[in-house]
This record gives sequence, C-alpha cells and structure tokens, in this order.
Amino acid sequence: MSRYAVKFTKNGFLKYTSHLDMLRLFKRIIKRADIRLKYSQGFNPHPKMGFAQPLSLGYESMCELLEIETSTDYMCEDIRERLSSRLPEGISVKEVRLLSDNGKSLAASCFAAEYFIAVPVDESFCGKEKKLTQDYLSQKEIMVFKKQKKSKEMKEINIRGKIRDMDVTFVDNNYIMTITVDCGSESNLSPELVISSFLDYSGINTARSEIEVMRRKLLFRDYDFM
Amino acid sequence: MKNSRDLEKMLKLVEKPARYIGHETGSITKDPDKTDVKFGFAFPDTYEIGMSYMGLQILYNILNKEDNIACERVFSPARDMEKLMREEKMELFTLENKIPLSRLDILGFTLQYEMSYTNILNILELGNIPLLCSQRSDDMPLIAAGGPCAYNPEPLSDFIDVFMIGDGEELIVEFTQLYAECRKKGLSKHEFLEQAAHLKGVYVPSFYDVEYNADMTVKSYTPNNPNAPEKVMRAIVKDIDSAEFPVNNIVPFIETVHDRAVVETFRGCTRGCRFCQAGMIYRPVREKKQETIMNLAKEQLKNTGHEELSLLSLSTSDYSSFESLALELMDYCSSSNVSLSLPSLRLDSFAYDVLDRIQGYKKSGLTFAPEAGTQRLRDVINKGITEKDLFLAVGQAFELGWNVIKLYFMVGHPTETFEDLDGIAEIARKIIDMNYEIKGPKGGRVKVTVSVSNFVPKPFTPFQWEAQDTEEMFIEKHNYLLAKLKPIKGVTFNYHDTETSILETVFARGDRRTGRVLLRAHELGAGFDAWSEGFNAQIWNQAFEETGIDKAFYCHRKRDFSEVMPWDVIDSGISKKFLENENIRAYRGELTPDCRMSCNGCGMSRYADCIPEVNHEQIRG
Repeated sequence: MSRYAVKFTKNGFLKYTSHLDMLRLFKRIIKRADIRLKYSQGFNPHPKMGFAQPLSLGYESMCELLEIETSTDYMCEDIRERLSSRLPEGISVKEVRLLSDNGKSLAASCFAAEYFIAVPVDESFCGKEKKLTQDYLSQKEIMVFKKQKKSKEMKEINIRGKIRDMDVTFVDNNYIMTITVDCGSESNLSPELVISSFLDYSGINTARSEIEVMRRKLLFRDYDFM
Repeated sequence: MKNSRDLEKMLKLVEKPARYIGHETGSITKDPDKTDVKFGFAFPDTYEIGMSYMGLQILYNILNKEDNIACERVFSPARDMEKLMREEKMELFTLENKIPLSRLDILGFTLQYEMSYTNILNILELGNIPLLCSQRSDDMPLIAAGGPCAYNPEPLSDFIDVFMIGDGEELIVEFTQLYAECRKKGLSKHEFLEQAAHLKGVYVPSFYDVEYNADMTVKSYTPNNPNAPEKVMRAIVKDIDSAEFPVNNIVPFIETVHDRAVVETFRGCTRGCRFCQAGMIYRPVREKKQETIMNLAKEQLKNTGHEELSLLSLSTSDYSSFESLALELMDYCSSSNVSLSLPSLRLDSFAYDVLDRIQGYKKSGLTFAPEAGTQRLRDVINKGITEKDLFLAVGQAFELGWNVIKLYFMVGHPTETFEDLDGIAEIARKIIDMNYEIKGPKGGRVKVTVSVSNFVPKPFTPFQWEAQDTEEMFIEKHNYLLAKLKPIKGVTFNYHDTETSILETVFARGDRRTGRVLLRAHELGAGFDAWSEGFNAQIWNQAFEETGIDKAFYCHRKRDFSEVMPWDVIDSGISKKFLENENIRAYRGELTPDCRMSCNGCGMSRYADCIPEVNHEQIRG
C-alpha cells in the first residue's frame, strides 16, 4: 500500500479534454496497466486517485500531478513505464515519485500555480509591456466580475491580492505573460480573470480564441515538483 | 484542413471540443499516402451518439485490418461547430488525419434511423460535396450507405451512389478492395459500380428505372444496366462465431451515451413480433460460442480499461446457453471490478437471481415491454407475453425490493381500439395496486413509468402494408391515455412525438420521389431531427407543401398485397408470401410460435443454416 505522485505534461489536441475526462482516462489506463489501486470503503467504492489541481479545458500544462494510492507496492519506474506505453499522444509521464504515507494530499498542499500566456498583439504594443504591467499591478484594487458557482450571478470581486507575481515580455508580436496566482482550496484565482482584466486595462482587443495558456508549475507547501 | 491553427481557434469556442480531435485510445491513424483507399465512415449524428454504436467499431476495426485501407471516422458537427466551420469556410474533416471529406475515396454512411437523413445531406454539404449523385464528378468521393434503413434505400437514392444491404463484415471489405483494384486499373466510378453490382448485397440505384402507375404507386423496377441483378439479395454472414469482432475498441475521451465494453452474443431473433423490423431483417439467428464471448469480453476489458460490460443482441435471454453464460460473466466481472449490464432480460426467476447479484443494493429500474394493452392486441402483433407472466414478474420484483418499473407500449397497431388503450391503463393500475397488496398500505412508494411510442410500419415486416394512424388519431389516443393515467398516483406517462413518427414512416416506406422533400427540408435548414430541440415541424410542412409530396399517400394508406413496394427490388431473404401470411394471421389474432419450436417457413433457411438449439424451457417465457 503506497501513495505516488505521477507528474505528466498535457499538450496538443489533448488539451481539449476536460478535467473529468482526464480522470476517466487515467482510471482506465491504470486499469489497463494492471496497477492495483486502493478502493474507498462503503456502498459505492471508488479508486483512490485524484489530480492535485484541475486544469481548465483548452490549457496545456508542463506540470500536472496525479496522486494515486495503490493496494500493493510498485517501483516508481515500473509505474512510469506501464503508464507511458498506454497513454495517448499528448500526455507524457515525466516522473513518478513515492509519497510518504502520512503526508498531506497534493490537493491540500497546493497553494499557487504559474502560467505562461501568449497573447497576439500588434506591433504598437512593443515596448509598452513593462509599464503596462507595473501600472496594472499597482492598482489598489483590480475589480472583475465573476460568475458565482451556485447562484450563477455575476459578482464583482477584487483579485489583486491573489496575483502573486506577473511579468510580460514582447516576443514575435505576442505578449508573453508569466503569472503566478493563488491556486488551491484556500484561495484560488482563474488565469482567465487576469487575462481579461489585463487586456481591458491595456486596451488590447485580441479575441480569447487567439490566446494560448500553459500551466508551468504547481507550487506546494510540503512538496517540490520542479 | 485549412490549417490546424484555424481548427484550434474553433475548438476554443465550441462546446465539448474533444468531439473533434480524434486520437483516442484504440483509434487508428495511418499514413493516408501509404494506403490505396481512404474510407470515411460517417455516422450522421453527434460524436457521443455515433461512438455508442457498436457497428461502427466493428466495421472500423475490419477495414483498418486491411493494410491498404485507411478507415477514418466522420460525425455531424454540433450546431455551434457547424456555424464556425461555415463562417471560416472550413470543410468537414475526418477525426484521424483531419482529411477534408472531398478528398476521401469513399464516404460511407451508416443508416440507423430515418430521422438522421437530413444530417447526411448536411455532412455532404459541409464537406463541399455536391448533394446529388448526378452533380458529382469522377474526382468526388464515392458516396455509399448501409445499415438497417438501407433495406429501403429509395428515399436516399438521389444522394447515395451505392448501398450495401445486409451484414457488413464481409461485404464492406470485398467492396472496398474491389474499389482499390478498379482505381489501380484506372477505371471510372461508373465502371467500378458495374463490377460492384455483382457483389451480393450491393444496390446501385442508377442501374434501375422506376415506372409509376397513374395512381402514383410504383409500377415496376427495371434494370437498365446488364450488370445489375433483377433483385438485390442482402449480404449474410453465415458464421457469426468466427466473424471479426473488435477487442481494441476506441475509448472516447468524453462521455458518450454508452461508455462500455460490448460483446455481441447472437444476431437475429426468433420471436417474430409482427411490427419489428429488426426481428425480420437480421434473421436467421446466429450465435457466438460462449467461449468466444468470454474471450472477447476479457480481451476487450483488458485493452480498454472499461468498467462496464454489456451484451449485444435483440433479446439477451434468448441466447441458447444464457444461464451458463450469465454465471460465468458474473464471476469474471465481480472478480475484476467490472459492472455487468444485461439489457432486455426476460424476467424469470433466474433473471432475478442474476439481477439481484449484479445490481445488489443499487437496484435500477426494471423494464417490461408488453407493447399492447390487451391479450387480443398482443396476439395480433404476435407478442407472446401474457398478463399472468407480466404480473408474476412484477410481483416478484416488488418482493425482491425493486420499486421502479418501466412499461413500454406502442399505440396505433393495426386493429387497435380504445379498449386496448384502457388495457394499458389497467395494467398500470394493477401494478400500483399489487405493490400495496404485497407490501401493505404503507408499503412504500413505487414509480411506474408508462412510455408510449407510435406504430411506424416498416419495410420487410408483416405490417409493411398497414396504414399508420393520422396525426389527429395519435393525438386523440395520447390524450385519452393521459386522461386515464394521470389520476393514478405513482404513474408517470411519456409519449413519443407524433410529427416525427409520421415523418419516420414517410422515409421508412418512401420511394425515390420522397428524396425531394428531404432535399427541400435540408435547404430550409432541417437537421438533427431525431433531437427534440433539432426538429422543426414548420420547415417540414413547408418542404412537403413546396414539393407536392403527400404524407398521407405514404403513411395513412393501406396497401394491397399486389402493390409493388419501393423496396421490392431488395431481397431480405424473408419471402413475401411469409409476410403476407403473417399479416393475415395478425387479423385473425393467430399467434405464430417462436421459430425455435417449429419452422414457420419464413424463407431464410434457403440461404443460411438456422437450426438453433431448442431450449423449450427458455422459449416459454
């Protein structure tokens, strides 16, 4: 009986699969790989597995983490090999690590995430990026409208406190934004709100469908996966 | 593909983008330049519907086993994706290599239900392929179709170059390899079709001239090409046990309607319900051996990682060694954390043991299909189920702790009266009462759902000559039932939409002329007619009006046995005489026994062995 973290990347067309689809996909692949998971007790037993943090539909990622609990012990390399040979194009396992039995779950330990965001802009924006970023961040409040999960109503919230770091560079007619935002059960910020508010603030009207987002890192209180 | 960047942009704007990406586990992406034939297999509905259809997995697997053939999938894009594709002028493409449809060699549609026909025209249009056969040049793909609805190909004959009738496993390979050969020789599409017309099961509409009588009925079918047979005999796979069956199924990324491993146990049905097309056109009964089924199931579960296994046939319990198979499957599934689903079980005591074991405390609903409300009418339709059987089974269900019962009926059967509808309400009421009798006045709630569909006369059934009820009659019957069922506490009543049932009949029994309505409805924007949110009655009414096609002629007119049917050019293997006799027997209320008891002479034995093992105990149920 052991707990493992499976670190993998997600890219290509596969980024159009949702969080739930990914859960099902891994469930099946683990089954095909004959890796025996531990099952929960109760009337409706389900295998003990879960992602550190869900990834939005359409995002690529260099650092996704799946936590699994197995009913027997495996070598980390064995798990990596069994999964790798069965994964579809677009998912690639980078590392499998044994976690201590009594440690916190990855989901509970995660507190922030870093993203790369590529926003096509026209040349007139070249050179303005540093000042725009500084001004954007120096606002006392960054108010955005966010849809409430339960009531579906739009509520105005201040996201400034959840943006930990932000840098923008101009490369090949793109603003490459690197942002670190809260990501976890205590405090969470969707990169979408940073994108929309920064574009608004800067007067950039690039369509959302032109923008690519990639998760670079997940940051944990108790673990380091870089 | 304009380019993948355009596609990427669209995928960010549509719902469920994974419908369009391909590359699932089990999908096969070949280098199309290294094959002779690029075959697009099209299911004219959304991905989630099409991927739940086992026939696609069977034929996809078979075609891709051929080194020189690349079979790739095509589905109807949902309306949001379609809109973007039209705006960006992007051609519809296959999922595997994203090949634009117009660059395929063959585009083959599976015809599972008539209400998908407008989606076929839409797929052609989105693929930049002219809709009419007569408008397509030789460099356009060959448009083919098969599946149960192909037994009456005529409504689609303006749009589809060639039909494949019957079991597809062998025919589709022969057909496609012949195509490869002909293309290598530099033959034209027409020359290929002349050769293909010699294959059993191949129907080329343009090789036949149709004449009509003054009263609009069909007068005759005459071959106009020396290669075309008088009648097209359907293809029959004689040995289902050894027929190729997939074990490396495609496992969708997104949730589909049926998301599970599936093994076919047998094809065909021996019960002979007189309204049922599947029961006729899939004859004779051909089984896979238990050992084959077990091996396929294990292999499929191993390769897919599915958590549910289901069996495929027209009537699960009619498998000759069903008890032994069910026990073996249950043992295997429980030992490997797989849930077993056994659809359309006949509910005898063995079935309850099985269900009790596989469902455990999670008792799902039980479904019964008496199809008609009185014994008289059930005899007319040859549904060999009595009220005694039904109530016995329901009583057992209540005692064992089930409390959700679904009842399926059909209204509009030939000879139906309002007494037969009263019968439906009485069955529902008795079931509610039974619950109280068994469990006492505080016996807990039961839920009885009465689902009513509308009778649609289908080709190659004993009822193919029958008049369908008019819209007004259906509505009257639905309202009558509603008034009877609504006061009964615990009963929910659902009924099928009337307009689509009538449309279904037009295309189920239509001749070549009905293609005009289809085309006009498509031009007016019809599509996804099988979806309640897709169907638009106004469009269809306009299409009928503008084309002068009379629904009543196709739906509400009773035909003589002597009338030439548009599908008489197809030979299903069942003799017309048998269907006529069955029709006569229906009006006399005479039951025809299950053909495992005694041969009823349907004509199938002329073409294939049908001597299934007789298990009398089992048949009585």
